[in-house]
Amino acid sequence: MPEMRALSVSEALGLARKALEGVRLVVVGEVSEVSDKPSYKAVYFSLADEGAVMPCLMWRDAYSESGVSLRCGSLVEAEGVFTVYAAKGRMQFQVRRLALAGEGVLRMQVAALARRLQAEGLTSSDRKRRLPAFPTRIGLVTSPRGKAVHDVIRTLGRRYPVAELLIAGVLVEGDGAAEAIVKGLRVVTEAGADVVILGRGGGSYEDLMPFNSEAVARAVASCPIPVVTGIGHEPDTTIADMVSDLTASTPTAAAEAATPASADLMRRLEHISTRLARGLAYRVQALEHRVALLSGRPLFCDARRILGAWEQTLDGLSGSLERALPRRLDVASDRLRSADERLVSVGGRLVSAAGASVALLEARLGDLSPLGILRRGYSVCYAEDGETVIRSAGQVSLAEIVRVRLADGALGCRVETKEEEAAR
Amino acid sequence: MTEQAPCSDQLRFGDALAELERIVAELESGTMPLEDSLARYERGVELLKALRETLGQAQQRITMLLGELETEDADDTGAE
Repeated sequence: MPEMRALSVSEALGLARKALEGVRLVVVGEVSEVSDKPSYKAVYFSLADEGAVMPCLMWRDAYSESGVSLRCGSLVEAEGVFTVYAAKGRMQFQVRRLALAGEGVLRMQVAALARRLQAEGLTSSDRKRRLPAFPTRIGLVTSPRGKAVHDVIRTLGRRYPVAELLIAGVLVEGDGAAEAIVKGLRVVTEAGADVVILGRGGGSYEDLMPFNSEAVARAVASCPIPVVTGIGHEPDTTIADMVSDLTASTPTAAAEAATPASADLMRRLEHISTRLARGLAYRVQALEHRVALLSGRPLFCDARRILGAWEQTLDGLSGSLERALPRRLDVASDRLRSADERLVSVGGRLVSAAGASVALLEARLGDLSPLGILRRGYSVCYAEDGETVIRSAGQVSLAEIVRVRLADGALGCRVETKEEEAAR
Repeated sequence: MTEQAPCSDQLRFGDALAELERIVAELESGTMPLEDSLARYERGVELLKALRETLGQAQQRITMLLGELETEDADDTGAE
């Protein structure tokens, strides 16, 4: 047996390390004993199966990049090398890449479902509905636990507290989650929401599986109100995202997409307020301007503007009248002349006949005159004053002077006797 | 669940805002008789007041239809 040179401990472990690190391995195992402290440079955990356990470490930057959240009991696929931690003389598996085991299978199933829904047209952009600009009731289907629900409540309260928030707090991962989400969508719709936010915080691919289920996909696609999804962090895209009306990267982003911002609305109202006041002022100014224009019109300054046209018409008529009249007058005067001649010829006869009639009438008129009566032999007796007519014997006394009027003169007489007759 | 709209005057916020913008456009078009303009203006001012009040006084109303809301730091399930 050849004599071997003795090595120091460090040299021995250095050799072992060199031998181990040359071999790159992919190991599948169940996670146990996770130690994930932010102050550590690496995450420490163990992978195990029924008969063996191996200590693992993963540098923090690589761990963050993997997107995997290590939990006891999950099955993971780790790619890396064995190495030796000389200070403790311990062998450990240094993980370079980490993925949840079985995820590949899940991804294949999800991709197949996506293709099926796509073929049915459920992911078509034509199906995407516009969200209400001013929602009255916003439905929120998410876990009642954790940060996501509070992020949404805060965002909605800040942006648009006008809308009522209807929350269906449901299980979002694990067994029964898909059914719970479907029920949540139905409940908020029935409660009168006009838009619904379906959300959850980021998680592993496996955690997001309910959002990749056919039941949830069909419930979202057939939801009577628009659905905004805010599921996990990018680049996770679930089937629920594909069939929803709008996809946001997080629940908070979904809340922002579903609402107008109150501050913007206030500014908009300010703008409208200005336009409203100015609109009326312009209206009044425009009317004032029109009145001013009208009152300045010649019409109101010169009455002839109104009457001028009539005056002209009148002038025109008058002209035609003048032109028409002479002709009419000629005709008339001709007729007049012949009438005149005829009058003259009959006139003489008429006049002499008339003269005879007049003498007769005069004679008859004379009969009616008091003078005519006196001429026929009657007389009138007046009192001494010559005015009062004596109609009764009682009017005079004996020896009184009376005047008697005859046709051609008057007599002064004294009453000598009186013979009164009974009044009739 | 109540069927009452959240706007104080029973008018939905979006409907009220749309009506208000229509009124402004009508006033600006300047085709309305003055009496109508005044009536529209009054309606506009009324809507504006209601909308401002709604925005200014709105308190967020939350109804839990399913589940119990837990405080924020209770659990990390569903966290971002």
